[in-house]
Amino acid sequence: MRLTLLLPGLAALVALLFWVSLLVGPAGFGLGESLRALISGEGEAVTLVMREIRLPRAILAVMVGVSLGLSGAALQGFLRNPLAEPGLIGISSSAALGAVIALQTGFATAFALALPVSALTGALVSVLLLLLLAGPRGGSLTLILAGIAISALAAAFLSLVLNLSPNPFAVSETVFWMLGSLADRSFDHVAIALPLMAVGWLLLFSTARGLDALTLGQDAAETMGIHLGRLRLRLVAGVAASVGAATAVAGAIGFVGLVVPHILRPFVGGRPGALLPASLLGGTAMVLAADIAVRLILPDRDLKLGVLMAIVGAPLFLHLIYKTRRAMA
Amino acid sequence: MTALTLSHLIVHRGVCPVVDDVSLTIAPGESVGLIGPNGAGKTTLFRAILGLQARQGESSLAKLSARERAKTAAWMPQTREIAWPVAVETLVMLGRIPHLAGGRRPGAEDHAAVSRALSVMDLHGFKDRPATELSGGEQTRVLIARLLAQETPIILADEPIAGLDPAHQITTMQKFASIAASGKTVLTALHDLGLAARYCSRLLLMDKGRIIADGPPKDVLTVANMREVFGISAHIAQTEDGFLFLPLEVAR
Repeated sequence: MRLTLLLPGLAALVALLFWVSLLVGPAGFGLGESLRALISGEGEAVTLVMREIRLPRAILAVMVGVSLGLSGAALQGFLRNPLAEPGLIGISSSAALGAVIALQTGFATAFALALPVSALTGALVSVLLLLLLAGPRGGSLTLILAGIAISALAAAFLSLVLNLSPNPFAVSETVFWMLGSLADRSFDHVAIALPLMAVGWLLLFSTARGLDALTLGQDAAETMGIHLGRLRLRLVAGVAASVGAATAVAGAIGFVGLVVPHILRPFVGGRPGALLPASLLGGTAMVLAADIAVRLILPDRDLKLGVLMAIVGAPLFLHLIYKTRRAMA
Repeated sequence: MTALTLSHLIVHRGVCPVVDDVSLTIAPGESVGLIGPNGAGKTTLFRAILGLQARQGESSLAKLSARERAKTAAWMPQTREIAWPVAVETLVMLGRIPHLAGGRRPGAEDHAAVSRALSVMDLHGFKDRPATELSGGEQTRVLIARLLAQETPIILADEPIAGLDPAHQITTMQKFASIAASGKTVLTALHDLGLAARYCSRLLLMDKGRIIADGPPKDVLTVANMREVFGISAHIAQTEDGFLFLPLEVAR
């Protein structure tokens, strides 16, 4: 019952935030002026800003939000653990490592999309390593352990690259990139990330029924006809494609995949499959809202999206833990 | 009408055989109890029967595809796992997953099956409560309802009545007996030998991976078998209330 109201409500929120996101920016155009320019192309400068800067930025916020929300919900469902998040299995840190190597070696400037391509390569290598380490059966414990090991390894190499960097300018550029942002992106970024993300989203949605069955544990799920090995493969590939692509175009953005499924779980009656669409919309709303906030709070200081998300997300998470603890007492 | 057939089923853990050359057939209509001390290999036997475990030999269930097997046999594992606070009715509906091919939503038939299972386990009053908020015994009843809702010709349950109150232990055993009588095949692992004696039509006594006795309760629950396998003495009586079995004391 509640589900029938929740999804349209969240969808309306996303639509509203998408419009607001198009209207907020340093150029300060009027409301009517911006929309006219966006739709009919009146006024050269305004049209350029709307179509080439704000529209791709809003679209990327949606894509990143969908990827993080969906991946977080699917991972928590598979691992049967509300503390799981996309960063846990090492995809984001490996994608970041790929990007950082590109920034440090100067490969990032070789061609327009060299940076996202390097990040995707990093994500791909980590997935192959992850599946190799986690073994052929569909266990969740080995997946977590392998993920933590890969995260740690990627973080270590990241530090090494920064440590040995001969160029302080490149170091600061790298650090800023890692903070995560959607500023100054173009439709090229949309074009490189979208196909991969779309494949990831489909894979993640296909896990819904398997995740429901896993509520009763691995053995019970398997005897209900769920092939755990294949389920895990679809999950890992889905997270890698969507979160790998999200990190490649936006840097590392945490907390969305952790907090959003946690907030929405009670509203869908706890069922992991029903949480997927809700978390998709919730993640999108959260990233859109945060990306609007970074432009409103410090309009001229380029506040990074990942930083704001962590500042808002961590206390929110603490509050949720406090609420859960009280509910359990 | 589906029988369960095992032939020379062997499971090794290291060099040790945990299930050692088990061959048997359970025909439709039989309610079979699997008894044996802790570590006898009962759970491993279930997992091997279902094909969840590396094994040698044959099991008629392990040969099926995952989807076919899910429509043929339902299993209740010994570990009671409910990961999320889902409503009781939603949880029991999970048992219908094998019947919902290709993302189909539950239909009238599925709701009817869930409702029947809830009635049998006396759960209609709980159906909107989050399953994780119920007591241990109530959760067990919910999980048995899930098992029943799958409506398969073969039912396997690993210690299904552990932790239930006496009334629900008896109803559950009676339900399994009547399901078997309706032409299905039921195999349950049990530690309550008294209930096993009364409600099972056949008992399998397992020790150190081998089935060492197989037959009607009065032939399996003998003074000699009890001393040798469980190390207990027992009071065994044929009364006007039927066959009674009461463990007395440790005989070692």
